[in-house]
Amino acid sequence: MARTAKANCWDVMTCGRGLASVEPCPAALDATCDGVNGGMNAGRICWTVPGTFCSGEIQGDFLDKQETCLACRFFLQVRHEEGQEFRFVKLAQGVLDVEDLHARITQVESLMGIRDRLRARFNLDAVIAEITRQARVLTRAQRSLVLLLRGNPPSLHGEFRLRGSVMAVDIPCDESSAVGYAAVNNQTVNVKDPYRAPVQQDDVPFNQAFDEACDCRTDSLLAVPVRDSDGRVVGVITAANSAKGWFSQDDQWFMECYAVEVGLAVEKARLMEEAVLAGRMASISESLAGLSHFLKDVAHALVGTSFIIRRAIRQGRMEDVKAAWEILDRHVKRLADLCKDVLTYDPERPDEIAPGNLNATVRDAVSLVQPEARTRAVELTTELGAGLTRWRHSKRGIYRCIVNLVVNAFDACLPGGGHVTVMTERRGDEAVIRVVDDGRGMDEETKARALETFKSGNQVGGSGIGLPTVVEIAERHGGRLEVESTPGRGSTFTVHLAGAGHLDRKY
Amino acid sequence: MSETKKKILVVDDDTDDLKMLSMILEPEGYDVVTAENGVEALEQVESEDPDLILLDVMMPELDGFAACDKLKSSPASQGIPVVLLTGVAKQITKTRYPIDGVLRAQAEEYLEKPVEPEELLRVVASFFK
Repeated sequence: MARTAKANCWDVMTCGRGLASVEPCPAALDATCDGVNGGMNAGRICWTVPGTFCSGEIQGDFLDKQETCLACRFFLQVRHEEGQEFRFVKLAQGVLDVEDLHARITQVESLMGIRDRLRARFNLDAVIAEITRQARVLTRAQRSLVLLLRGNPPSLHGEFRLRGSVMAVDIPCDESSAVGYAAVNNQTVNVKDPYRAPVQQDDVPFNQAFDEACDCRTDSLLAVPVRDSDGRVVGVITAANSAKGWFSQDDQWFMECYAVEVGLAVEKARLMEEAVLAGRMASISESLAGLSHFLKDVAHALVGTSFIIRRAIRQGRMEDVKAAWEILDRHVKRLADLCKDVLTYDPERPDEIAPGNLNATVRDAVSLVQPEARTRAVELTTELGAGLTRWRHSKRGIYRCIVNLVVNAFDACLPGGGHVTVMTERRGDEAVIRVVDDGRGMDEETKARALETFKSGNQVGGSGIGLPTVVEIAERHGGRLEVESTPGRGSTFTVHLAGAGHLDRKY
Repeated sequence: MSETKKKILVVDDDTDDLKMLSMILEPEGYDVVTAENGVEALEQVESEDPDLILLDVMMPELDGFAACDKLKSSPASQGIPVVLLTGVAKQITKTRYPIDGVLRAQAEEYLEKPVEPEELLRVVASFFK
C-alpha cells in the first residue's frame, strides 16, 4: 500500500471515514485501485466504488451516483491535477485509461457505422471485404477472413489476397481445425499460441495446414460462427495474430457483433443474388417467348404462301402466285431484318465510326424505304439541316436506325396511310435525327414495352428488337434515343448523336 | 353449286394473314368473308351468317378468346363452329381455354401457328361432312 502526498477524497470531503477511522469508507479499503491517480487505495478514483460515504450519506454504485460524482469538486480537482494521466474508469480486469476508453468508444462507433454501411450493400463480395477490413482494424489483427459454408459434404470456403494474388481456401467442416470446430459446435474459439499448445481448452484442435499452404504462422486465432436469422451456422469469421499477442474478451465481443452483421449481410446478399438470377431467367424466358412468337408468325406466313404458290402453279393460276409471292417476300424481309438487327445488337460486333455526310446517310436510308411508303399510302419526306457534312457516324448503324424507326412509323400509320418526316439538325455539340409520324401514337405502357428487348409495343407484330437496336446504336455514338408520343396524335423518335469529342475511342 | 358453298369468316388483325388464309380457302370452294378484329367479327356474324369461323387469338381490342366467348354466349351465334388459330397452344385445352384463370366458352377446335395449310383444310372440311 503506497502512501502518497496527494489528497484522498476523505481528506478533501472531510467525511471522517478515512482509512484510520473506526468505520472506513469502501473507497479507503479498495486495495485493487491503490495508486490510481496517485491516491491511497481508491482515494483518488472513489467515483468508481459503490457505497462510498460522502455528502453525509451512503451512495449507490457508479451508475446511481455518476451525476453527483461528475460535478463533485473532488472529482474535478483530481482530473485537473492528473491532466493527461487522469484515469476515469475501473473495470473488473483493472483500470482503463482515458485513451483506452476513447479506443473503445471508437470501436463501438465504428461498429455502428459499419452496420449502416453493410445494410446498404447487396454485393456479397463487397460486404465480406468491408467486414474483414474492419475486423482487422478493430481487433488489431494481422489478417481476417470470412469463410462460408458450401458444398456437400459442406466445407468452409473463403478467399483472400496474399502477396498480390487471390487465394482460395476450403476447410473441412469438422473438428479437425479450430475454424471447423467453431462451425460444428456453433461456438466462439479463441486460440492462443497454438504451436506451443496445439490442443487448447475445450479440446479445440489447431490445424497447421492453412499456415503451411499460405506460408505463414498463426500465433493467435479468433474464430466466431456466423449464423443466419434462424440461428443456423452459415460460416465463420476469423481474425488472426493480434498485435497484443492474443485476443481479449473485448475483441471476442466485437467479433461476435461482426458475426451477427455478417450473417445478416450474407443472407441478404444471397436473397438478392437469387432474386437477380430469377429476374434474369424470367427476362430471358420472356425474351425467348417474344422472339418465338415473332418466328411463329413468320413461319405461319411462309408455310401458307408456299402452299398457295405450289397449288397455284399446279393449277396454272398465275395471279395467285403473284399475290402470294408478295406476302412471302414481305415475310422473308422481316426475317432478314431480324437477322441484321440481331447482328447490330450484338455488343461483340461493334461497327466502324468515321466522319461522313450524315445527311447523305439519312437520305440513302430514306430512299430504301420510299417504295414501302408508297405501297402503304404514307407520305415520306425529309427535312435535312446544315452543318452535318462531316459528322462522325456509323453509316450501317444510322441506316438501321432510320429504317427501323421509319418502318415502325409506317406501322403506326396503318391502316389509312399518313405522314412520316425524317429530320436532321445540328444542335451545338450534337446531331439530332428525328422521325415524326402522325399515326396512332402510344400510351405510356406501350412506350415502355417498345423499348424493351423482344417485347414489341407494335400492334402489327414486330420482332421486339428494332427499337432496342436503335438505342444500342445511339449509345455507341455517345448519344441516346428519346420518345415522345400522344395516343391518337402520333410519335416522335429522336436520336441524339454526340460530337466527336464524346465518342468512345474504341468504337 | 353456289348454293352449297360454305361461308367461312376469317378473323385476323394481320392483313397479310387474312389474305393468305382467303387464298388458301377460296380455291377449295369456300366463300370467305373477313374481319380485322373481334368487334368487326361480331358484326360480320350478324350480317353474313357464316358456317364456320376461323379466329386468330392475338388481336388488339377484342382478342380471339373474348370474341369466342361472346359468340358462344349469344343464342344467334352459339351454333357456329369456331376454330382458334394461336401461337400459344399451351394455354388451350382442346375445346376449352382459360380467361382470367376460368375455363370459359368453347371453341370446337384449335390450330397452332404455324398452321399447315393441308391440316387447316382437313379441319375445315371435317365440319361440313
